[in-house]
Amino acid sequence: MKKFACVLLLFAGPVLADIQPEPLMVVKSLPESYPPHWIIAQDGSFFHMSNGKFIVLDADSDDPVGRFKGMFNGSFIAQFYQGKTSPHMYIAETYHSRGNRGDRTDVLTIYDKANLAPVGEVILPPKRSSNMPTNFNLQLVGDEKFALVYNFTPGQSVSVVDLDKREFVGEIPIPGCALVYPMAGSAFASLCGDGAMLSVQLDEQGQQASSNRTDRFFDPDNDPLMEKAALHKGIAYFPSFNGAITAIDLNGLKPVVLDTWSIVDGIDGGWRPGGISVISANSTGKLYVMMHPDGGKGTHKSPGFEIWVIDAGSHDLVRRIEMTTPVLTIALTRDDGLLVGTNVEMNIDVYDANSGELLRTLADFGQETPFLLHGSN
Amino acid sequence: MKWLDSLTERRTRTIAQRTSRRGFLGKLAGVIAGSAATMPLLPIARAAEGGNPAPSESGDPNSCEYWRYCAIDGFLCGCCGGTMNSCPPGTEMSPITWIGTCENPVDGKSYIISYNDCCGKSSCGNCLCMRSEGDRPVYRPQLSNDLNWCLGTKSNVYNCSTAIVIGTALDE
Repeated sequence: MKKFACVLLLFAGPVLADIQPEPLMVVKSLPESYPPHWIIAQDGSFFHMSNGKFIVLDADSDDPVGRFKGMFNGSFIAQFYQGKTSPHMYIAETYHSRGNRGDRTDVLTIYDKANLAPVGEVILPPKRSSNMPTNFNLQLVGDEKFALVYNFTPGQSVSVVDLDKREFVGEIPIPGCALVYPMAGSAFASLCGDGAMLSVQLDEQGQQASSNRTDRFFDPDNDPLMEKAALHKGIAYFPSFNGAITAIDLNGLKPVVLDTWSIVDGIDGGWRPGGISVISANSTGKLYVMMHPDGGKGTHKSPGFEIWVIDAGSHDLVRRIEMTTPVLTIALTRDDGLLVGTNVEMNIDVYDANSGELLRTLADFGQETPFLLHGSN
Repeated sequence: MKWLDSLTERRTRTIAQRTSRRGFLGKLAGVIAGSAATMPLLPIARAAEGGNPAPSESGDPNSCEYWRYCAIDGFLCGCCGGTMNSCPPGTEMSPITWIGTCENPVDGKSYIISYNDCCGKSSCGNCLCMRSEGDRPVYRPQLSNDLNWCLGTKSNVYNCSTAIVIGTALDE
């Protein structure tokens, strides 16, 4: 018997301390200012649109689990805006009282970046446009005092929210025009179906003070501007179906069309812009444009096989970055260091934005259809 | 589609080519719908109207390549409990929509196709199909395939899309 006890002791190993009781109810939080290489993946959940989500990811991380920092929801093709002057994120979304049916409620929901939790909401008229996500369905203007939400019923208008009061203050009709491009001060512009641009200036109460309309400056029939633009220093850069870029200065009271130039002339291969987001600008005025070869009628949403880096000032083609896997949408991190793109497998490829080297792929993080990506502010 | 075909099977890969929502109008101005009516340039209400012509046609109406779907973007209702020109049980057909112009290879004629959405249930999830020729940005909504056309219905939740012939088109 003694022998047996000794054998048992030999195999028992060192005595382990008990796991100590742990605190309950712990919920993690994030920094208010995210590290520069964190990104936000806007997942439209195309197969169940009422349950979309936004996922915060560390694009620097090679840890497939640890790179997932948190998430929050957005219902029915929600639109997104990330605050520049406050640690808030804004979602324009739609609910029905019985899930997919019942009374409709449109709401502007305000999330704080640290807790990814709603800290406020403003009920909107049930009119917001449920189109594919863009960066120009929801914008903030006037030092982020006013939120603007594009409506389509199919009547076209913009809902104005006073964010100081957190209340809806009015609706501005924009017949024949669409989306909201932020202008200097409390103003916005919209692209119009006749090839012009409308601008609307708000007063201090968020009501329309005045409006202007440019002459027709593009041809929506033969070479439409895409509604997908990049903003740099108040200038909006719009690619066209056939491969031109039009620059429009939004810094004044009225939009001023600066110039239009082709980025494909003299380059073989039938390259054209295309995709979901199509274009992004870095802080030094380099435009990153998603391009596909053999373009033509109906290819303006084709994924990007290359990203062309265009100098907005000189119009030079600075670099062509070949995508390992074609991408549907792109974004840049705020330090200009990383180029991220949702590829056709719905994973996110992370490239060095300068060298074009593929650094890693963010896969299997619970995503389904991350239609848009956003560098964190 | 070549890029898509080259990839291996995976549902999310299929989504990739098909992420926008709507079809488009292939031939634009000056076409005539039906016997004499001028085709409207704005979204139209025709869902409840009868008397649609029945053209001779062939092929698989649940294939994305089927001629009527030249301008569609969404889930094909024929794969969702409905047909190419009827909604699945329990849904509601949107009375306003966008239209496309597609050529029927059997008779070589172009037809006006109304892509009325079926609404009130979540995405069908079957037979996702997107073909973008003639699609225009949302500032031309009547031609834009990025818009949800479940408008004027009890619920704006999108289920699937039909493709209903409403008349012949004249060449531009």
